[in-house]
This record gives sequence, C-alpha cells and structure tokens, in this order.
Amino acid sequence: MHTFVQAALSGLLMGGVYALIGVGLTLIFGVMQVINFAHGDLVMVGMYAAWLMFSRLHIDPFISVWLTAPLLFGLGVVMQRVFIQRVQRAAAENQILLTIGLGLLLSNTAMLLFTSDYQILTTSYSSASFKVFGVSISKALLFAFVVAVVMAGALYVFLMKTDTGQAIRATAQDREAAQLMGINVGRTSALAFGIGAALAGVAGTLVAPSYYIYPQVGHAFNLKSFVIVVLGGMGSVVGATVGGMLVGLIESLSALYLPAGLKESVVFGLFLLLLLFRPSGLLGRARV
Amino acid sequence: MENVGAWAWRCGVLWLAFAAACGGGGSGGSAKPATKVKIGFINSVTGPEAPIGEHLTNGALLAQDDLKARGISVELIKQDDVGKPQIAMSALEQLVTGDEVSAILGPYTSATANAVARLAQQYKVPQLVPVASKDDITRQGQNYVFRINAVATQYARSLIDAVLSFGSPKTIAFIYESSDFGTSVSSAGKAYAAEKGLQVVADETYQKGSPDYRSTLTKIKALNPDLVFMVSYVADAILLMRQSREVGLHPQAFLGGGAGFETAQFEAERDISNLVFSVTQWTPEIGWPGAADFAKRYTERFGKRPSYHAACTYAAMLVLGEAASKVGGDRAKLRDLLATGSWQGVLGDVKFEDYDGYTQQNRHEMAVIQYQAGKAVVVYPPAHTHGKAVYPFPGWN
Repeated sequence: MHTFVQAALSGLLMGGVYALIGVGLTLIFGVMQVINFAHGDLVMVGMYAAWLMFSRLHIDPFISVWLTAPLLFGLGVVMQRVFIQRVQRAAAENQILLTIGLGLLLSNTAMLLFTSDYQILTTSYSSASFKVFGVSISKALLFAFVVAVVMAGALYVFLMKTDTGQAIRATAQDREAAQLMGINVGRTSALAFGIGAALAGVAGTLVAPSYYIYPQVGHAFNLKSFVIVVLGGMGSVVGATVGGMLVGLIESLSALYLPAGLKESVVFGLFLLLLLFRPSGLLGRARV
Repeated sequence: MENVGAWAWRCGVLWLAFAAACGGGGSGGSAKPATKVKIGFINSVTGPEAPIGEHLTNGALLAQDDLKARGISVELIKQDDVGKPQIAMSALEQLVTGDEVSAILGPYTSATANAVARLAQQYKVPQLVPVASKDDITRQGQNYVFRINAVATQYARSLIDAVLSFGSPKTIAFIYESSDFGTSVSSAGKAYAAEKGLQVVADETYQKGSPDYRSTLTKIKALNPDLVFMVSYVADAILLMRQSREVGLHPQAFLGGGAGFETAQFEAERDISNLVFSVTQWTPEIGWPGAADFAKRYTERFGKRPSYHAACTYAAMLVLGEAASKVGGDRAKLRDLLATGSWQGVLGDVKFEDYDGYTQQNRHEMAVIQYQAGKAVVVYPPAHTHGKAVYPFPGWN
C-alpha cells in the first residue's frame, strides 16, 4: 500500500509537467491544425534557458520561469510569423516537414552553442524530499507540479473568460467562421503558437532541476506529448491536462507492478487500444 | 580582348587547383613516405551518444599529435555513425573500400562496434575497439578484431570482488538500462553474484532518458537489499541517485557499473555521489606510465578532464598508429603485429591475448573507485589503492 501511494503520487506529480507540454501542443493544433513536431525542442530551449540563468546569473529555475515564459512566447510568435504561417494551407506532410526542420534547427543550434555535453542543474532541492506519513514527495517535482497547475489554471481562465481567449476558441472551432465574424485569425494563430511555446518552455524550466539537459532532450518529450494530445482528444485543453496526468500515473504504476522496462509499452499499448475503440480521444469531439 | 581575359582567368583557376592538389598530396608524405598511414575512425559524433563520443574524438586527436611528434604521420579519416549500427556498417564499407584505410579505430558503443566487427572480419581489415565493452565482440573468434579495454563482465566482477573484500553483504538488487551495455554488465553481474553466494532480489531494467525512476526505486527499497547495483550509460546515473535519496533507499553500498557513474559530472554532484562505488577502465590517479601527464595535457587542450573513454581511445590510437607505420600500412601484416606485439602506456601493459573464450582481448585491469566528498578515490585492487573504502553506507544526511 505504501509503495502504491508513493508510486501514484510521483506519477501524478510528473504527469502535471507532462500535461503542461501536452496543453501547449494541443492548443497549437486546435487553433492552427498544424502538428508541431518542434514542440519537444521548445521544451529543450526552456531547459537551456533555465540552466543558463541558473549557472550564469544564479537565478533559481522557479524564479526564472517567469522570464522564460515571455521569452519562449516571443520565440513562438516569431516561428509562427516567419515559418509556420506560410504553410498554414499547405498539405499536412509539408507542415510536418517544416516543423521537424525547425526542431532540428533548434537542437543543432543548441549543440553549436552549448556542445553536446549533458548539463546538470543542481539546486538545493534537486534531490530533497518532504516526508509525509512515510511517503516521500520530491521537492523539485512538487514545486513543478504547483507551478504547472497554476499555469494551466490561468490558461483555462484566460481561454474561458477573456475576449482574446474566446477568439482563440472561436478560431479553433471554425477558422473561416471566426474570420467572417471579424476575428484576426492570423494574429490569433500567432498568439496561440506563442502561448503553446511558452508552456513548453515553462515545462522545460520546471523539469530542469530534476532532469538533465542536452540538445536532443526534446525527443524524449516529443513522442510522449503526442500520446497525451491524442489521448485527451486533439485540440482539447482539458483533455490534454487529463491525458498528461494519466500518462504520468500509468507509467509510474506500471513500473511498480511490471518490470520497469515495460512501462512505456504499457502506455503505448493502452494508447493503441484507445485509438481502436475511441479514436477521437477521451475528451475529443469526433472529427469527420 | 574579353576572350583573352576569360582564358587567362580560367588558366589561373586551373593552376590554383593544380597547386592545391599537389600541396594537399605532398605535404605529409614527401618527407617520410614510409610512415604515412591511413586510419579510419568511426565514432558517434552526433546523436544521443555524442557527448561521450566527443571524448573519443579528443583522445584520438591528442594521440595523432603525439604520433606526429614521434615522426609518425597518421591520416585520421573520421566517420560519424550517429550511434546506429547500420550507419556504422556503411561507414566501415566507405572507409575500407573507398578510403582504403589500413585499420579501423572504434566505433564507440557496443552495438555499433559489434556490428562493425563482423564486417571488419569479412573485409580483413584490423579493427581496434577502444571502449565498447560487450563481451561478445571478442568472443566470436574473429581474428581481425582487437579490443584494448576490459570487457563488460569485468565491470561487475571487479565491483563485487571489491565489496566482498570490505564486508559481507547477502543480497543484491540490479537496476540497469535496457541497452547492450546495461544488459551485458548486469547479466555478468547476476552470474558472478550467484557464483559468490549473493542472492539476487531484484532485476529491473529501465528505458534510458525517462525522468522518473521513483516507483522502481521504491519497489527496490521495499525489498531492502544489502547492495544496489546500477548500470547507466549517461546522466541517468545522476537521476537514479537523486531519486534514491528522495525515496530514502539506503543499502550497505551503491555500486555503479561504470559509464554514467564515472563521469566528472557525477563526481561533482557531492550530495548524491558521496560514498558510491564505481569501476573504471582508467583514472588519472592510477599511476600507469604517462597517465598523469596525459591528463594534464588533455585538460589544457580541451578544457575538461579526460574520461576513461578519452584515455582508452588515446592508447588505442597510439598502438594502431605505431604498429601500422611499422608495417607500412599493410592490413595482414598489421593484424599479425597487433596479435603478437606488446605496448605500454596510459592503460598500463597492453597485449592482445586469447583467454577464457576471448580472442585478441587486452587483459585490462579495472580500478574500483569510491567517491569521497566529491573526489574519486581508488579503493581496489589493493595494488593501486589510494585510500580506505567507507563501508557500509551510513545513510543519507
């Protein structure tokens, strides 16, 4: 029982960070219908930003996260305006090639700037934990979870309550109708891509103190974030949040009861089953 | 007038091209044509294995310069395998048939080195494996394949021998990544543990690169083993130890099966590396001829401490370059010379021998180290010890 609680808890906390990555990806897909294969690399950029600010300026990642978010937002907007916008109406494979190319550009730039060495960001809480009834809770992971929840909550309120949020949702629902209603879909797309990139960057910053950093680290998150997005229903923000938590939980619990090497296959196995029986995802609307 | 100008320009270009070709061809070879040798170097320059691949490159480059100082000019033709066996294999074909190299140095990982070994045998080109440790590589009776570093089995044997000399543990848990390196080190470990009467209570693999190993570590903690044996290629070692501390796993000793547990980065993480045992092919402190000097020059040139990968590749490159120049680059003669010769250097004595089912395997001795307050101390074998081992692990502070 004790080990179960322990595994479930750390899985859930890890899932919070996964959710943040998934939400960013699903938002971009929802608004632009573009699958962003550079998403993992944006997480990587966030990790390097955190590492740079920590090692050069001694700013703790949980403070620098408020700087990386606008930074990555800017990067996202530039990426959308300069590149993605041009393939908005192109065939899906062209969009995929473009985003994969952008991802390679990002990871190889990082390699050029920082070499391919693994960078370790060690804070005072990197390996520290709270003990509650004999269950240990990783400090780094708990802080990350709290920030992730705050961010996701803020995003939800923003999407639901503000005019701009409404414009984003309208664009996601029907791009042409939104345009006819006087919404500047170009600007809304840039905004959505910026927010998506910012969330990826935030997630990167949040895991930096408990993970390690290298130029190709994004790949580890890329595949997982697709699973999360499809699991939750493509384009559904709430779905991605639930999906992220679920993936974290399943991974952790399957590592407890099965050989640890199988934990990814459990996730992908369940994912395949879901695709077979509920292809629109847990909370997605069916698409034609 | 215009035509003449164009003609003169073209002549100029031709002349330049000609001069460049002559210069390129003539510069190294003209002085001592007999000592110019070509060596193909397959390594993971990009891809996930690149961070460690860089150490191999640095080691080889330093050796190339040292050979040059001795009057042996080696042309090192580098190929990137991205860490993938099939790319390494086509790199070998390119080097052997296109560039016509005398010998192959590398590749880095066990999977790529093993794939290349079969082809090297087929093409009858000597291959010297510098760091890959999978046992099979030198157990297939391939007489063109040589290896300078100790095999995977030795990692586990040295570690277990060391702890058994410090105390009397009864149980052992294994957690290792599902790669060639991880499985071969740990299966050797499991076999040797059983031979020494240790009970294996957990046998867990993991997919490298995962950010969360907490549930696996919790499961192991519940089994309360005396020893925890971990194998990690890269920075996962740091994650495993951080999370061990988080969940409060405290066996009598943590044994880190090389690689990720013997990097300068791991050493620097005092909070979590303290009192962890690891095993290494090489450390600057061990006192083999030229080891300290090599470490000093390496640090000056590349701005970081040499890892064992760098030292092994350096030693391998020196052996290959020296031997190849002696036989004028002939592949068959080089093979014979490698099989019979002996060398001395930063890895101690090097001799490629047939023993215990291995062929042309250097019987390299490994050093067991323990991190004590951020510094690696050699604690085993007794001949090379620099300090006393702390055993058992007193627990996390």
